[in-house]
Amino acid sequence: MKLRYYTLRYLIIALLAVIALWASLYYVVILDEVYDNIDDGLKNSKILIIRESYANDDILNIREYGINQFKVEPLPKGPLYDFSDKFSSDFEYMEYDDDEEPVRLLKTVFNDRHGNPYKLTIRASMVEEDELLEDLMTALIALYIMLVVSIALLNHFILRKVWKSFYVMLDRLKGFKLGSGVKFEAPTSPVSEFKVLGQELEKVLQQNETVYSSQKQFIENASHELQTPLAISLNKLELLVENNNLSEEQLIEISKINDTLNRLVRLNKSLLMLSKIENRQFEEEENIDFNTLINELTEEFRDFADYKEVTVNAINVAQLNFTMNKGLAVTLVNNLLKNAIIHTKAGGSLEIITDKNRLTFLNTGETPLDKNKIFDRFFRSTLNEQSTGLGLAIVQSIASNYNLKVEYEYNQKHIFRIIFP
Amino acid sequence: MKILIIEDEANLRDTITQSLEKEKYIVETAYDYISGMEKIGGYDYDCILVDIMLPNGSGLSLVKELKDMKRRDAVIIISAKDAVDDKVKGLDLGADDYLAKPFHLAELHARIKSAVRRKSHNGNNAIEWSNIKIDPEHREVFINGNSITLNRKEYDVLYYFMINPNRLINKTALAESVWGDYTDQADNLDFVYSQIKNLRKKLKDNNAEADIQSVYGIGYKMI
Repeated sequence: MKLRYYTLRYLIIALLAVIALWASLYYVVILDEVYDNIDDGLKNSKILIIRESYANDDILNIREYGINQFKVEPLPKGPLYDFSDKFSSDFEYMEYDDDEEPVRLLKTVFNDRHGNPYKLTIRASMVEEDELLEDLMTALIALYIMLVVSIALLNHFILRKVWKSFYVMLDRLKGFKLGSGVKFEAPTSPVSEFKVLGQELEKVLQQNETVYSSQKQFIENASHELQTPLAISLNKLELLVENNNLSEEQLIEISKINDTLNRLVRLNKSLLMLSKIENRQFEEEENIDFNTLINELTEEFRDFADYKEVTVNAINVAQLNFTMNKGLAVTLVNNLLKNAIIHTKAGGSLEIITDKNRLTFLNTGETPLDKNKIFDRFFRSTLNEQSTGLGLAIVQSIASNYNLKVEYEYNQKHIFRIIFP
Repeated sequence: MKILIIEDEANLRDTITQSLEKEKYIVETAYDYISGMEKIGGYDYDCILVDIMLPNGSGLSLVKELKDMKRRDAVIIISAKDAVDDKVKGLDLGADDYLAKPFHLAELHARIKSAVRRKSHNGNNAIEWSNIKIDPEHREVFINGNSITLNRKEYDVLYYFMINPNRLINKTALAESVWGDYTDQADNLDFVYSQIKNLRKKLKDNNAEADIQSVYGIGYKMI
């Protein structure tokens, strides 16, 4: 959920609660004020009526409301009456509305100038609570909508403005790739928090970049420096073997040392290759005709495949051309071919299908491989100690250098697929 | 034949010298750019082996120097950098070959012979050993003067043995030289064996007096 919707969601809910609470309080207070006003008016009327009754006895004969808003009823003399004012609410029929309407009643007892007790009832039309409530609700809903809309709009514009540099930073961060040579630059921002965030990000990424490149450089230099001592050891062994006075056991032992050293040489070369690919040292690019390349390389492997009794079949479905470094293209196909031939049992087959934007290697095999691990460095599916475990890692590395996708799946056969963009 | 080795690593220089002297070459050595220049200025060589990274100068400048002097010495660059750039640059400057460290001595011998042969142009480039003769120009093989047919790889294997006769060839060296990068796994070495078996049969069927012997565990030797 986007930041702006996230905050808006909470604002809308909080606003609803606040307005509801405020509305109920407002309603109670207003109603109280209205009653208070009406009651004051009734009390005033009472004083006026009683005063008038002292001057004019006719008033004492008003038994029905009629046009007056009061009525007077005589009470028997004798008992002790409560002279206090009693307020009550009631419903009475009104012609205007043709309906029962709420009224406020004041009931009290008074003595006329002769000392006869009378009961006085004064009424006043009162606001309709439900209508008030309805009006209040309508007004509040309108207010709520207006508030939400204006907050949403403000939120939208303010957030967009305030967080602009943050989103720019996010975009740049998304596009950032370690070792790509492109430096991460934080956008300028008037917000100091974002400024600090940007600076810290720049610092951290710069540090990572330094560590990453020095690590790559280290691997490359180390492999490089190893070449000369390896060369000396191998050549010394070669000279030693040429001495004809060695026994067969000694020769065999030397041969084993030789094999081990050769393995080290291969390992070293593969590591060097990997770090060179990652350091993007294969810059020269040309348009590679993969159909031709595959035919040539399959031919190179012909002897080996025949010896392993693996039938190799290159199928050209469509022309596949891609611009990349020639050496890397050869290594890419080479490693996949070699891998497939080595791991196919005698009598098996290998098919290489070249299509418009994909290269597929299908070779027979019984058990599926762990597709999450086969492209890892030094992962070996077999116990072959001569394998460097780097062949497919190199394939992966070349592919990601050119944004190609490498897939593996098992469907009766091992299927390695390279998808070109 | 006179060979100059310009290499700063004393151990490697000595090993190469020993190996070449066994082949009856006259070997001289230089250990840096300046001593290399002195040697080059003073004498002609059949072949010069030069390392790229030398103290106080680059081997590539030596190669350029030689070209500028219009010298006919064969030049082979030996370098720890297996960089395509250096290779291309070196060959453009006039080097005849480029060999990345580490290399097999047998491979070095083969490269020296090829480079010298290509440079000499004196008509007869044929390589002979016992009653076998190879014409590298046309990739033809004769036994007792009769032409025999070998496939491409069989020819390459035989060529390697002819250029290194009587020498114990490491099976990895042979595999790398003939099949290149395409074979570098253990079971590929049995594959080399099966290829050699075919070649031996062809040689025998054609009455070749030379034979390729297998030396257990190590490799092969043509005697």
